[in-house]
Amino acid sequence: MCDLLAISAGFDYGPREYLPLFAERGKRNVSGWGIGFFREGRTLVENSAESVYHENQMHDSFQRLARVIDSRMILAHISCPLIGGQHDQAAHPFTLSFLGHSWLFVHVGIVRDIDRYRTRMEPRLDVNIPSARIFEFLRDRMVSMVSEDPYLGLLSALSMATRELVERYPGRYNYFLANESVLLAFFNFRQLMMLKEHDTLGNVLLLTTVEEGLSGEDWRYIGLEGDSAGKFVVIGGADFLYQQSL
Amino acid sequence: MCDLFAMSAAKRSEAARSLPVFGVRARKNMDGWGIGFFRNDRAHVEKSANRIYVPGHLHDSFQRLARVIRSPTIIAHVRLQTSGKKDECHAHPFVLSFLGTDWIFAHNGKSPAIESYRSRGERLEAGSDSARTFEYLRDYLLFYHRGDPMVYSFVDALKRSTSRLMKEYPGGYNYLLTNGSVLCAFTNHRHFMLLKDSRQLENALLLTTVAEGLSPEPWQVFKAEEGCGLLLLIVGGELLLKQVVTPLRG
Repeated sequence: MCDLLAISAGFDYGPREYLPLFAERGKRNVSGWGIGFFREGRTLVENSAESVYHENQMHDSFQRLARVIDSRMILAHISCPLIGGQHDQAAHPFTLSFLGHSWLFVHVGIVRDIDRYRTRMEPRLDVNIPSARIFEFLRDRMVSMVSEDPYLGLLSALSMATRELVERYPGRYNYFLANESVLLAFFNFRQLMMLKEHDTLGNVLLLTTVEEGLSGEDWRYIGLEGDSAGKFVVIGGADFLYQQSL
Repeated sequence: MCDLFAMSAAKRSEAARSLPVFGVRARKNMDGWGIGFFRNDRAHVEKSANRIYVPGHLHDSFQRLARVIRSPTIIAHVRLQTSGKKDECHAHPFVLSFLGTDWIFAHNGKSPAIESYRSRGERLEAGSDSARTFEYLRDYLLFYHRGDPMVYSFVDALKRSTSRLMKEYPGGYNYLLTNGSVLCAFTNHRHFMLLKDSRQLENALLLTTVAEGLSPEPWQVFKAEEGCGLLLLIVGGELLLKQVVTPLRG
């Protein structure tokens, strides 16, 4: 199964420690990786179709990027060979600009029929995989709702868009959507693990799908309540701001 | 009644257009002013007990600060003294450090009951309802959010603390609370006016208590229902969520 990591801080954070730990935990995912981050409000994405780990050696570029990236918001994705398959290995994270921000998107899961979705908005993501259609669907619905009511609130817009998405295209969703200031995570399967870490420059908050967390520290489990159709988690800076069931 | 101003943006920005308009439109408040902002994640406050406006002139320092302060979040307060002394120490905003970061707080309203609150934590020098309100919120945010962050997310903890405040110390509260990343705005009296994507002022999210807003653009009114409060959460220049807060029962 693919894995996701988000790192959010109130300052430009260098993920020297946690990106390699994420790669280490994702050793079993051998078919590609991607890292997205922000510089002066613009998204930058570095990805590769090569395995993040090969013969006990971390991918050279992944190691170097971990040393030089600094950003308030960083998303990483490690692809799996079995589900979502080889074809999307060099695609995540995706980026689109809308509602006045550049956004990064990563997703794991299996969704039926979403590849039939055709956006009427531009730009379109030029890759034929479910995660791209999911991102376009969310973008389209959020833009439509916010244009009708500019003061609706981002979380309300995303929540309504996701409800529509899950009803029209049932499946397993676990996505992270982030602009330079806020991370909006949704999942309706698996779990999220969260850690608030103290860096010399300030606090950092990490969120991952890796079941055991990335280290031996006090990772907190975020799961679904019994009859919940999914859950949103909202992170701003290094703060766990809010959680809401779908 | 004091007036409040806030600007939230995705990156460090100036409020060089909107702050002077705010200063002029809030000029009926004659007992001091203050501006709070963030630099390298640390809170900074410049404040004064002087009048913000004398006929024909906005306070010289306020004008200059408005031109040069650059921060993702800026809040300002113009004071009409209803509690505490008229001096710089009682001017808003106030700063406290907790939950691993600096927080800036500004308030208007009338809540004399809270003046009797005695925090066991770090206390602000000012002897006013606003200073006690900030201490109270700090104390209960720590109690709820640090106590169990998985049960009480930051917003849930702030809602619960404010709900408790409304029950234990009934009064009129309008407050702004920010750590630079997140801006929380609460009102249970008066209103907030919000404007996004202004063409005349800054391209950020602007908020004020000034009834007519700060420009002839379509400002959106946010007002709580009778007996309730309204909490707005703003991050990176976007309104993220709106929550109704009712006084704690039981």
